[in-house]
Amino acid sequence: MRSMLLRRVLRQKGAVIGGTIVLSVVLTALLAPLLAPHPFDATDLLNTWASPDDVNPLGTDQLGRDILSRLIIGARVSLAVGLSVVTVTLVVGVSVGMVAGYFGGRTDAFFMRAVDIVLAFPEVVLAILVAAVLGPGLLTVIVALSLVWWPGIARLARSLVLVQKQELYVDAAIVCGTPAVKIIWRHILPNIAGALLVRASVGVGFIIMAEATLSFLGLGVQEPVPSWGSMIRDGLPALRTDPMLAISASLVIGLTIIGFNLLGDGLRDALDPRLHGR
Amino acid sequence: MITRRAAGQLLISAATVAPLGGLNTKVFAQNKIVNVRGAKTFRVNVVADPAQMDPITYSELVAGRIIKNMYEGFTTTDDEDNNIPALAESWEGLTPGPGFRFHLRQGVKLHSGRPFTARDVKYTLEELLRPGSKGGLSAPYLANVVGAHDFQQGKATEIAGIKIVDDHTIEVSFTKPDVLFPIYPFFFMDSGIVAKQGPDRMTKVSAGTGPYKFKEWRRGVSVNLEANPAYWRGAPKINGVSFLIVPNADTALSQYDAGELDFVDVYASAVRRVLRDERYAKQLIRVPRAQAVYIGINQGLYPPFKDRRVREALSLVIDRQAMIRGLYGGAAFMLNGAVPPGIPGYNPDLPPPRYDPEQAKRLLEEAGFPGGKGMAPIDIASTDAYTNEITYYADQFRRVLGIPVSVKVIERATFIRAMNAGEVAFFSWGWTADYADAASFLKDMWYSTSPYNRPRWRNAEYDAVLDEALTIPDDSKRFMLYHKAEKMLLDDFGMVPLPIPAAIGLRKPNVHNVTLTPIGFSMFDKITID
Amino acid sequence: MWRFLARRLSSLLLVMVVAIVVTFAAIHALPGDPVTVMLSDHSADREMAARLRAEYGLDQPLAEQFLRYVGGILTGQFGLSFRYVHTPVVDVLRESLAISPVLALAALSLALVLGSLVGVHAALHRNRVQDTAIIVALVAGLSIPNFAVATFLVYLLSVKLGLLPVAGWGTLGQAVLPVVVLAIPSSAYVARLARTFMLEVLQQDFVRTARAKGLAERLVIWRHAFGNTLVPLATSAGVMLGGLLSNTVVVETIFNIPGLGRLAVDSIFARDYPVAMAVVLLFTFFYAGINILVDLFYGLVDPRIRDGATA
Repeated sequence: MRSMLLRRVLRQKGAVIGGTIVLSVVLTALLAPLLAPHPFDATDLLNTWASPDDVNPLGTDQLGRDILSRLIIGARVSLAVGLSVVTVTLVVGVSVGMVAGYFGGRTDAFFMRAVDIVLAFPEVVLAILVAAVLGPGLLTVIVALSLVWWPGIARLARSLVLVQKQELYVDAAIVCGTPAVKIIWRHILPNIAGALLVRASVGVGFIIMAEATLSFLGLGVQEPVPSWGSMIRDGLPALRTDPMLAISASLVIGLTIIGFNLLGDGLRDALDPRLHGR
Repeated sequence: MITRRAAGQLLISAATVAPLGGLNTKVFAQNKIVNVRGAKTFRVNVVADPAQMDPITYSELVAGRIIKNMYEGFTTTDDEDNNIPALAESWEGLTPGPGFRFHLRQGVKLHSGRPFTARDVKYTLEELLRPGSKGGLSAPYLANVVGAHDFQQGKATEIAGIKIVDDHTIEVSFTKPDVLFPIYPFFFMDSGIVAKQGPDRMTKVSAGTGPYKFKEWRRGVSVNLEANPAYWRGAPKINGVSFLIVPNADTALSQYDAGELDFVDVYASAVRRVLRDERYAKQLIRVPRAQAVYIGINQGLYPPFKDRRVREALSLVIDRQAMIRGLYGGAAFMLNGAVPPGIPGYNPDLPPPRYDPEQAKRLLEEAGFPGGKGMAPIDIASTDAYTNEITYYADQFRRVLGIPVSVKVIERATFIRAMNAGEVAFFSWGWTADYADAASFLKDMWYSTSPYNRPRWRNAEYDAVLDEALTIPDDSKRFMLYHKAEKMLLDDFGMVPLPIPAAIGLRKPNVHNVTLTPIGFSMFDKITID
Repeated sequence: MWRFLARRLSSLLLVMVVAIVVTFAAIHALPGDPVTVMLSDHSADREMAARLRAEYGLDQPLAEQFLRYVGGILTGQFGLSFRYVHTPVVDVLRESLAISPVLALAALSLALVLGSLVGVHAALHRNRVQDTAIIVALVAGLSIPNFAVATFLVYLLSVKLGLLPVAGWGTLGQAVLPVVVLAIPSSAYVARLARTFMLEVLQQDFVRTARAKGLAERLVIWRHAFGNTLVPLATSAGVMLGGLLSNTVVVETIFNIPGLGRLAVDSIFARDYPVAMAVVLLFTFFYAGINILVDLFYGLVDPRIRDGATA
């Protein structure tokens, strides 16, 4: 079963391309200190906005720091934010959603009411408000984005569980006297993991984009730690004379998000039995 | 019975048509101002809405720039920031003092048509302190006036120390000498109109004597002024002035390129682009700002700072020339002391601060912190406007001296509050002159009891020299004392002076008689547009 | 039906109540002090600060401030702005109020039309060159940050080519770029949805029947196939509108449009509590209201709900 799935995934061109991109980004993030040719915080005011050359393959930024090195280290931040937020929202959202979906009744009503309320707030404004309250920084971004994202996951998990509840194996487990927790954890969860994974994969892309937006508004990671979003923010004012900073950071973000999106789409197509004539 | 399809089509059509309907609402009223022959308006940008347009409550720079065109005080500044008479033609000291007798200019008409008299002066000054009125920036300038305190507390119905002698003569007495009183920024209002209009009067009436009258304020869009043909220096040659509210540097520049602005005040992030663009070369205006940029060092909050050698070391590792070239693209000026060039009382003979990293390391070692050992981690803080600068300083302090400095960007409201409370140990900030005299820096920033002495640097001798200086009306004598005090501050390394970014502007070739000055814009009354 | 409506409305009410409490708490938890911001760089004048604080009731205990605020809302008074002295919050909001929804709606319309066309086209040419090219473009459209796209477009179209005005809001020309920039991610989203739905629908029996009956291809595609994707699309449209409203923030900043989004950010940074709270509440109301409308609409067209079963 698993190998068939893998083969199906591999047959999706999009997934392969996406997966390659994602893998490259992850590897870059992990090996960042080894890959970066220069220290990311070494300023050199006599060499600001340098054009690409042998020493600085992508040139330097407004403080004379090497752009390539900062992009590489920036991968860590973007990925850290993306993965942290996705992890937190998956844990919280899936727990809430599954409990609500499985037990139904009042538990369901209570949790879903909470989800509805959070979902009723416009995302961007909520993120800004939270970030403003907590002050700029990496942790703030993670908290703000997690707060905004978990309800969507909860809703998804709940509807997935509702579908699964109709299946025979659930009835069988109940009849056997299996405790609810075990049913949820051991039986239902593996069956919905695929769909959740798809959502998570695409989600990382959007979270990276949201981090860039928060950085653009000045609420993101602090200097001198580079994040792709804050690099775009620094580079945009100089777009017409020294475009390299803004363009390279935009391309890297865009490519990474494309990678996650393609991967997610590919996974979804691979998992969807309908598209395979079944 | 609505079918699914029909309902869907209905919704889509509605969504498509609705915004077209919106196009006809007044949201889309034409608001672009175009200059045609016979109807010239001078269009310039400001970075944000003025918080208010009321000369009593105004308290920030944007409002000040706009208000200056509508309201005037005893004096004003010319293009070189010298103080020249405005509504006061002359004044002399009172005997017995301390105080001044002002001889007001005759033949000046307020926007309402009424003649300007001493009544308006007293009215304005009392409005600043009236209990219940939100006196803004200018209120503290009345601190030394006799009877001001009682009036403020509601114990008196007028300020005893302000006496109207006749329509064009007014006397102001002080509890102690205040030689700079004539150059403080006051904006005299029409006592006749204002009282009747109520709290939001300033968005309805124009009640000053200036070359332009208030016309309208479209929040988030623009503030529009129209010419005052009865202006005492001569009617403006254009029909009006429009301050377009443009927060974003690129947008402002693009609007200038597209002909939507006649003059653009170039914000920091677009300076580099402007300096390197050939097209702008002939339209470029570059002027040193009257701003003291410095690193504040609070000796009470971080013990190593108590040692003068440590403070000197901090100053020695900052390569200011590299900053001017690399960070500001050449558009910055050296600040050698506590008072920026262009301000009366500035000392042109001060040597520039030195850059000598080796000497700095030696000093730090002598002070007992070789390579930064033994120094606790510390943050250097500022708002995001100074992010690049403090990142550079922190990098230098860490790499060259080994001091564990981290960068902390704090948002504005929090930062200002903390600074005012003396809670920030190590920061970078700038201070702009409120009036054209070095005291605006030397006293307001470094006098021991000044609320704006944010690093809490204290020196009794310095205070004594300043106290003496402020009793001397004669400029050159006073300035000598200013120089003496300033040298004390610098020798003690009470703060670290930093380069001042230049004020950069672009002016269209067909626009004349307007420029940037160290304090802001020049007066707009003589502008012509071909 | 009516029970359905009542439930939805009561849910809206609950949301607004929670929103008011949370917004009040969050805004007052913002570090920094509105009085400091009001007085700006000359804020060390303690007397003046104290006077201002008393005048705005900021020296009262929080609970009391909250009660006064709620009382104010119930009587339709949103207080005076801190930043624009003496100006009622309602006045500050009034001009922005018409702008952001118009911007969002225009972008939504563009997205729906453009997205549908592109998505259907891709579905019809599945797995061929056009489809792949379109898919790539769509993913890119969703992936590149909108402020980067905006800057690039302004540079190209306004400065280099001089085709469109740079910024501001008031003429049709000024509306083009902001609407386009705002619409790009949504168009991509709609296109993907349209493509997916169309692919599903095209496989269904009734389509084959229509073709077999000899109906013109165009009729088959647009009336029959696409017609059945309209409802799910319309549902997503509602959700998208809410998202678009929020995303006006960045676009309004870049194009200097005095709308609600920019006002939200500005007032939060300026600690203008009354305006910030009012704007956030307004956004929440719009957002929740749109969701309710979508639910209602869905209830209208879905016979199960219409005829009495509660959803």
